[in-house]
Amino acid sequence: MPPGVCHVSSAKGQEMADVVVLGAGVSGHTAALHLRRKLGREHTVTVVSPNANWNWIPSNIWVGVGKMSKADVVFALAPIYRKKSIEHRQAKAVAIWPHGDNSDPRGAVDIVSTAADSVGDETRIRYDYLINATGPQLKFAMTPGLGPDGHTVSVCTADHAVEAADKLHECIEAMKAGATKTLIVGMGHGTCTCEGAAFEYIFNVDHELREAGVRDRARLIYLTNEASLGDFGVGGMTFDDMGFETSSELWTASLFREREVEAILGAHVSQVREGVVEYETLDGERHELAFDFAMLLPPFGGVPMSAYAADGSDITADLFAPSGFMKVDADYTAKPYAEWKASDWPHTYQAPGFDNLFAVGIAFAPPHQISQPRKTSNGTMIAPSPPRTGMPSGAMGKTVAMTIVDRIKNPAADARRASMADMGAACVASAGANLRTGSAAAMTMMPVVPDFDRFPTGRDLKQTRGEIGLAGHWVKLMLHHLFIHKAKARLGWQFIPE
Amino acid sequence: MSDQPVADLSRAPLPTAKTLRQRRSIPLQLTRFVVFNTRIMKMVLSGHKGTH
Repeated sequence: MPPGVCHVSSAKGQEMADVVVLGAGVSGHTAALHLRRKLGREHTVTVVSPNANWNWIPSNIWVGVGKMSKADVVFALAPIYRKKSIEHRQAKAVAIWPHGDNSDPRGAVDIVSTAADSVGDETRIRYDYLINATGPQLKFAMTPGLGPDGHTVSVCTADHAVEAADKLHECIEAMKAGATKTLIVGMGHGTCTCEGAAFEYIFNVDHELREAGVRDRARLIYLTNEASLGDFGVGGMTFDDMGFETSSELWTASLFREREVEAILGAHVSQVREGVVEYETLDGERHELAFDFAMLLPPFGGVPMSAYAADGSDITADLFAPSGFMKVDADYTAKPYAEWKASDWPHTYQAPGFDNLFAVGIAFAPPHQISQPRKTSNGTMIAPSPPRTGMPSGAMGKTVAMTIVDRIKNPAADARRASMADMGAACVASAGANLRTGSAAAMTMMPVVPDFDRFPTGRDLKQTRGEIGLAGHWVKLMLHHLFIHKAKARLGWQFIPE
Repeated sequence: MSDQPVADLSRAPLPTAKTLRQRRSIPLQLTRFVVFNTRIMKMVLSGHKGTH
């Protein structure tokens, strides 16, 4: 029986169980919906999320160029959870007590309310099963001057994206009046992830500039921590193209050349001043780049939480990696990059030593980078972090939900498995939003984490493909509507795959 | 020429005029739309099921 599970139970399974999900992003929200779908009303499902709203983050890039409004990508969670009988706590989790405390051996989470009528109120809630799906902490502070409180904009949240669109259109108006501008899009630190989002944003900006008739007045620069174009934090991809193995680097470089977007590679942004980015490249050289508009993504960390044993002693380091991400069933043995294996990646997302504690999506600690980490001659780390978003994130959420459903019925049930080294992902990177003139770089990769023991190129060439065209834009728009339909738990939501 | 260490992309292949037309051709792109969605579904069905 899972440690801490002592709620009314029998050999046949638990008669009542309390399942708590921390976070209402893609993985947490997916898990909560499937838990509620599969569990009887005698069991409770509680979602703890500091935000009152759900945000389809992949479409934030369209908000960031003014093609969509905030209302198109955000909706209130409360009505959905009310309809589905899911308890919703608008709060942030600050501490986990996986062994329980002195008053109750069941696991518990300390949460602090973020709701307007009770902000700051702290409560301890009990759980029989806990899913940590808290997503990323946006660590703008790791680069001085980075972010909406500094000198750059972001598209990480819908509000950030609205601000980005306003500033972009100020730039476009100035260009229409005859000014020339330098626009930078990319990564605000050497350890950032989500390069695909920056890639999408810069080509959407390019598309907007062309539609506004001012592309010739803009210098567009992609500033990235990737050592080569097309890396995307997954070490790039190899495609079978007309019988030849083609790299995503060549394919991506073609698009940059065609659209006249400049690229600065292997860069760590060290500071942003008013209108100036300071960065270091892999050769150790330091540079300054003046800009009029800059959208630079922040590095991610785990949402900070502490962990305590029942006697109150601090066990945070046992549950969490120094990055703040939760340790799960991955192989975290320190080893050189060249020695890592696909099998190091987690399969069940279960925290070591706890059968009732899981971490999914960005919240779990990856065992190592997928893209090769590098250091500059000054010792600065430039290492794109592995993405754990989108399709894999939803698949992990559902898998863990189904494990919990199994264990509520039979506490000895094995955990279900969904390794990123076995699952694929589609990445549809918009390159312009228009039903007739838009385009996207549409990629599929199988698996996400390359497995060189199974495939010479790391991935299955039959399922790892890339193509550019209008159809990709239609796919991304279709996914936008499908996933919002699913997240709103509308008719047939469960048939839309993760 | 640039004042910044921008990558040299001068050897990257440029799409031909035909390729650019094909990327916006409605009939062809409708076909690609179906093909890409089929590929996603195949991938989901083969690799996204939580298994024991």
